[in-house]
Amino acid sequence: MSVVEACPHRLTQSQTLAMQAYLQQVFEGKIDFEGQKKVETLVRTVIIAATIGSFLLGFALQSLRITLGAFSIACVVLYLIVIPPWPMYRRHPVQWLQAKQGKVQ
Amino acid sequence: MHTIYARINNTSAFLSSCVTALLVAIALSSLAFTADPKGQLAVASIQVHPGNARRYANKKQEFAFVNFNVSAGTHLVMSARAVSHVHACSKPDLSPLFNWNTKQLFLYLSAEYTDKKGVANEVVIWDRIVRRKEDALISTTGRNKYVFRELSASFRNIPPANYSLKYNVMPYVGVLTYGEAARTPQPVAFPELQSLS
Repeated sequence: MSVVEACPHRLTQSQTLAMQAYLQQVFEGKIDFEGQKKVETLVRTVIIAATIGSFLLGFALQSLRITLGAFSIACVVLYLIVIPPWPMYRRHPVQWLQAKQGKVQ
Repeated sequence: MHTIYARINNTSAFLSSCVTALLVAIALSSLAFTADPKGQLAVASIQVHPGNARRYANKKQEFAFVNFNVSAGTHLVMSARAVSHVHACSKPDLSPLFNWNTKQLFLYLSAEYTDKKGVANEVVIWDRIVRRKEDALISTTGRNKYVFRELSASFRNIPPANYSLKYNVMPYVGVLTYGEAARTPQPVAFPELQSLS
C-alpha cells in the first residue's frame, strides 16, 4: 500500500523524518575511512598523471586542443569515479562496539 | 573526503592547482621554439604630396605615400634549367613561428627615422594579422594602409628612414614576443614635395 493512498493529504511525522533522513543520506553520500583513503590516492594519482600525460601528448602532436581535450576528458571521468558514493568506497563500515547494558538511563 | 561536497571541494582545489601548472608549462614551452625567420623588404617608391590637415582646413600638411615589396625570402631556389640562374624564392616564410601555442601573428611595417631634434620616430604604416599557418607565406606588394605624416607637417630635411617588417607572436597562453622579419638594407630618403597634378 502506497503512502499516497494511506494518507492523501499529508505525511505523518515519522514518515517525514524517515524521508528527511533518506534524502540527507543521498545528498551527503558518505563513504567509509578506507574509501576516503582510496579516493584521496586516486584523485592525486589521476590528476597528476593527466596533467603530465596531456602535456606530453599535446606537445608531441603540436596541438593545444588535444592537450586540453585529453585533460578535460580525464577530469570528467575522474569526477564520475570519485564523487558519487560508489559501493567500492563503502566496503569497510566502521564496526562500533556494542553499547554497554545497564549504564544507559 | 567523507561527503560528496568534501570530495568535490578537495578534488576541485587540487585540480585548479594542476590546471595552473599545466598552463604555466604550456607558456614556458613557447621558449623552446626559437624560430627567427628572415625575409627581405624593399621600398619600391616614395612620394610626398601636400594636403590639408584633417582637423584644420587652413593648415598645410604633407603626406608620404610608400610603396613596398615584402618579397625576397631567405631560401635561394636554384632554377632547374639553368644553375646559373639563381632567383630568390619570393616569400618570407613565417610559418616556423606557428607552434602549438601560437594563436596568431601580428605583422607590421614601420618607418623609423630620427628627426632634426634627435627624436627617434617609429611610424606603423601597414599591418596584417595572420591567423593560419597556411597564410604565413608573406608575399605582397603594397602601400601604406595608414596615413604617414610628420609631426612637423613637413618631410623636408627629415633624414632618410629605415623600414622594417616586424612581427608580434600572440600565444594562446603566455607572453607576447616580438621580432623583426625584414629590414631595408639602406635608409631610404624622403623625396622632394610633389604637387598633385
